[in-house]
Amino acid sequence: MRKMQMSAYTLEDMPLMEDLHEGDYDVAIVGAGLSALSLLHSGGTALGRTVVLDYQEQVGGLLRYLLPADGFGTEWELLRDFQLPSGVRLLLQTTAVGLLPANDAEPTHTLVVRRRQGTTQLRARQVVIACGGVERPREHDAIPGTRPSGVMTPVLALQLLAQGYLPGRRALVYGDSRYALATARRLAEVGLEVITAAPASGNGRSVRLCGTLQEICGFPRLTAVRLLCDQQSVEVEVDTLIYATGLLAGTHWLKGSGVALTAAGTIAVDAHYRTNIPGIYAIGTVVRPELDHEDSVRMGKEVATLLPGGVS
Amino acid sequence: MEMTSIDLDVDILVIGGGVVGCAILRELARYDASIALLEQYPDVCEGTSKANSAIVHTGFDARPGTLEARLLAEARQLWPEVIARLHIPYLQTGALMVALNEQEQATIAREIVPKAAANGITLQPLSRAEILEAAPYVNERIVGGVLVEGEGVIDPFWTTRAYCEHALLNGAQLFLGERVSAIEVGPQRLRVRTENGKTFSAALVVNAAGLWADEIARLAGDHSFRLTPRKGEFLITEEDHGVAQIILPVPSEVSKGILVTPIVFGGVLLGPTAEDVSDKRDLATTTAGQQRIREGVGRLVPAMSTVSTVRQFAGLRAVSSTGDYIIRPSTVSERLLHVAGIRSTGLSASPAIGHYVGKLVGETLGLRLRTSYRETLPEPLSEAAHEDGEVVCLCRSITRGEILAALRSTLPPQTLDGLKRRTGAMLGECQGNLCLPRLIALFQQELGRDPLSLEKHAPGSRLLVERLTHLGGVPAHSGERPKRGQ
Ligand SMILES: Cc1cc2nc3c(=O)[nH]c(=O)nc-3n(C[C@H](O)[C@H](O)[C@H](O)COP(=O)(O)OP(=O)(O)OC[C@H]3O[C@@H](n4cnc5c(N)ncnc54)[C@H](O)[C@@H]3O)c2cc1C
Ligand SMILES: Cc1cc2nc3c(=O)[nH]c(=O)nc-3n(C[C@H](O)[C@H](O)[C@H](O)COP(=O)(O)OP(=O)(O)OC[C@H]3O[C@@H](n4cnc5c(N)ncnc54)[C@H](O)[C@@H]3O)c2cc1C
Repeated sequence: MRKMQMSAYTLEDMPLMEDLHEGDYDVAIVGAGLSALSLLHSGGTALGRTVVLDYQEQVGGLLRYLLPADGFGTEWELLRDFQLPSGVRLLLQTTAVGLLPANDAEPTHTLVVRRRQGTTQLRARQVVIACGGVERPREHDAIPGTRPSGVMTPVLALQLLAQGYLPGRRALVYGDSRYALATARRLAEVGLEVITAAPASGNGRSVRLCGTLQEICGFPRLTAVRLLCDQQSVEVEVDTLIYATGLLAGTHWLKGSGVALTAAGTIAVDAHYRTNIPGIYAIGTVVRPELDHEDSVRMGKEVATLLPGGVS
Repeated sequence: MEMTSIDLDVDILVIGGGVVGCAILRELARYDASIALLEQYPDVCEGTSKANSAIVHTGFDARPGTLEARLLAEARQLWPEVIARLHIPYLQTGALMVALNEQEQATIAREIVPKAAANGITLQPLSRAEILEAAPYVNERIVGGVLVEGEGVIDPFWTTRAYCEHALLNGAQLFLGERVSAIEVGPQRLRVRTENGKTFSAALVVNAAGLWADEIARLAGDHSFRLTPRKGEFLITEEDHGVAQIILPVPSEVSKGILVTPIVFGGVLLGPTAEDVSDKRDLATTTAGQQRIREGVGRLVPAMSTVSTVRQFAGLRAVSSTGDYIIRPSTVSERLLHVAGIRSTGLSASPAIGHYVGKLVGETLGLRLRTSYRETLPEPLSEAAHEDGEVVCLCRSITRGEILAALRSTLPPQTLDGLKRRTGAMLGECQGNLCLPRLIALFQQELGRDPLSLEKHAPGSRLLVERLTHLGGVPAHSGERPKRGQ
């Protein structure tokens, strides 16, 4: 069993609040998911004084709960072999809650961040927003029916497994992205009976049931879901629904910051990942929330070459 | 009566931990008497009180002369003090009733304004231009309307909990997870049994079981009224489009209609529908209901017809044949007091219902007021404490300090939904899918709860079914997992 390099960074290494204010950073990266790791991997020390912060306890973003998994070789290698470049400061369990872009009075961008010790600010000449997003829950798509326990997204199911618990016994995994199917395989490995299903309009990967989710049934625990398969309503008895239809860009903390969003709610960027505000970039899921996109690693690499002071 | 042993002997027992039962408990705590409340769910506020529009209605449209109208008027006087003493989040937004055509405008002038006047409320007529200036998001096609200044929005979970905590502070006892399954009526005392096999004895029982109040009455042999469920579906959006007032349609014969209501803790509530259903547990949302909401709100605030939604839910109104509140002794005993049929204004009227019932019970039993009564709840945690700790709920930026404060409170949550209603965690876009494992860990750390026993809401709603043993388990956050196929 290979050990992940990332376990080398523990919370004990987290600097206290006072140490954070050693002056401005050249680059602040919000999020330490795949796109950020790729940027750090390619950019290395050339980025200058860099700080990376992440809400989670470890690096790797949402995908880390799944990795390693078949079909995710590139992602796993990046995560497994990742080494924090020297001089880059990693702040875990540190969440950006606001962004104040540079202005005439204040030439650097300010990130408002919250961590165990309280709320503080970080200043940086350039900010890379690589904060990914969250999975679309059943509620986002207003799937009708009851609201029982046993309905979840892959990241919840995978986290519960990682904590050593089975979230159910018989699950329907709804969605046919690589991620959905890898989650289905993982659940089957630990002993759940798994049925895969997806709408006909999906990615066209092979699933057991082709149909659209119509209704969630049962209370207090899920007992069944109803799918519309070929104009026929089919009831499937399951105690768990893994709803894996997509991602939502994580932009709520940017409200009022002036960073422009697209109509779809993602951060608007040009071909060089520049947002509407000079010196603020965005990469990864937060600009491309399609579940199956394979661009995060590439976007990280590209932006490394584009940042002033970055590698070329 | 048989020889069953009594588990608890009190002067007054309240059945039902909704906003009405808890408001009554709080008022009863003023008296020199022993009091207790029984609730079937593991938390208070799990019935209709958790699924409503959360408006503190003035009662401007109540039927004059009814008990409902009278108690709503009394509640108007009581709210400011209740809000201040119990520190309840409240926002006096005002409500705009908008007319979409001349006919509706005429209805306002002919029916709404005089009815409000009879209820002691003056409505302020507004022109189309005035409305669009105050609320530019409202449909441009409106022809006019009225402002109901005194309407506001409140946190219904907080209200219910605060009533209960205040009663506990003054000596009341609370029994959660106790479903009443039998009532024996004696000449001096009533015996109330629960499904768990506990027996309570009381000189007076208050039946505040909401939609099930008719069934509680029936347990005592009283068949004098029936309650039927009328479903109201909602959807929640975080896209507020500037909405800062409650926007009301001109009501029809059957309902107040579908509204646009700002939520006191963020976001906008759209709904409710009104549909008579046959099952008192039917809280499912439907495609048709959600469509009706979007059509309804689209007429008031066009942008709301296409907003994204973070959640949908439904509540059930307790409809009685009388059309008014049923607050009276049972037909079988003076010692069983019904507080039922509190259909669509129970939250708004709750301080007055509590006060009215408290007085009624005090007189019936000849009770004296206590000498020591604490009028206010201690301040909720200061802002500084809220700041404490890292963010746990990413979507709503809820910190570990806020979660811990809830878990350490007088009335700590027993379920995941209970924690949600106390902190706002899991209410956002991801609906808890990201942070739930962290919340489970905090439950375990603070309250010693085994994650396997933790439920979402109702009994039987466990999240986890088993420990992963055959693979040896995977240590949390280690980043390791057993090799494939082993
Ligand atoms: C399940 C899944 C499958 C995918 N499959 C692939 C694939 O195979 N290959 C590929 O290239 N892409 C894939 N994608 C798309 C994308 O590459 C992955 O989502 C990748 O994890 C995205 O990287 P990211 O850095 O943009 O976001 P994430 O991995 O989601 O990382 C964002 C990080 O930011 C943190 N964060 C969020 N908000 C804040 C804040 N306010 N403050 C601080 N930290 C914050 C989060 O905790 C998270 O750790 C997939 C995406 C997902 C989720
Ligand atoms: C769609 C909708 C919109 C509404 N909007 C508003 C509004 O904006 N403003 C307003 O003021 N009001 C509104 N209402 C009305 C308001 O929600 C209700 O009047 C109020 O919540 C009723 O409170 P309650 O305590 O009587 O009932 P509940 O909250 O249902 O409480 C009854 C309790 O009794 C318990 N119970 C039942 N049987 C037993 C048993 N056998 N043993 C033990 N416990 C038992 C239940 O579990 C429950 O917790 C609305 C209602 C609906 C449905």
